[in-house]
Amino acid sequence: MSDDNGGQHLVIERTFEAPPDLIWKMWTDPEHFAAWYGPGSGTGPGGAIDLRVGGNRLLCRGVSTPEGTIQMWFTGTYLEVIENQRLVYTDSMSDEHGNVRSPAQMGMPEGHPTTTEVSVEIEEVTGGTKMVLTHVGIPAESPGAAGWTMALDKLAARLDEAQRS
Amino acid sequence: MTSILALAAKEDRLDETFAALANSTRRAILARLTEGEANVTQLAEPFKLSLPAISKHLKVLERAGLIVRGQRAQYRPCTLDATPLEEISTWAEQYRPIWEARFDRMDTYLQQLQRQRKMGCDDER
Repeated sequence: MSDDNGGQHLVIERTFEAPPDLIWKMWTDPEHFAAWYGPGSGTGPGGAIDLRVGGNRLLCRGVSTPEGTIQMWFTGTYLEVIENQRLVYTDSMSDEHGNVRSPAQMGMPEGHPTTTEVSVEIEEVTGGTKMVLTHVGIPAESPGAAGWTMALDKLAARLDEAQRS
Repeated sequence: MTSILALAAKEDRLDETFAALANSTRRAILARLTEGEANVTQLAEPFKLSLPAISKHLKVLERAGLIVRGQRAQYRPCTLDATPLEEISTWAEQYRPIWEARFDRMDTYLQQLQRQRKMGCDDER
């Protein structure tokens, strides 16, 4: 997938001076994850990283609001788990038990998809590791991410063509 | 004031786009239209749905501004309008600074971690 994808996906590429297995741990080891994901983030009480395809994740994060820092919970399912190479998971806001909350329920502006999909590609390069993050929004009642992504890819291609002509 | 109204209108529009896309039949219709214009009968062919049911889906897509329908009464070809899809990127772009900041922290943390590990190794010698 090229960077010029019509803008439906957020794609960020970074290279780190670290081996691929350490980058993998950044995403999959709760202790390492907590160190960079955001203030107050981690598995917290009752959270989990069940690292296998179909396994669930439940993580919390401290979010600063005008009323002070509050704890927010995020849940999702691992869709692909290829050690040191590729990680794909869904992400939704939830309560501390992993019950999905819509962005509207959480006081977020309308238009934020309830579920998003995050994929992380890890690849060894000279002097370190290249990491590519892709973040895609999935409509709430979407029966499957695959169909949605495929349709969007086709539409993005069409959009590119239209802009070129 | 104008900007708040504009933002609210934009959010409504995004909402409508996502709602329209939140249905596999409608996504399939859009995918079909990426290949070129088609009328209701042609669009209904791959589905086990009645023409009125397909028409209903087309109305949702039309309201969301994702398709444009021709004016000829008998043959009203549908064409794709990808403009609302560009607006979805607004949502995705909001996450860019969040992820960038996270990866800055990851970078710093990785450096710390590897320095500590190196020192740990030196201590063992």
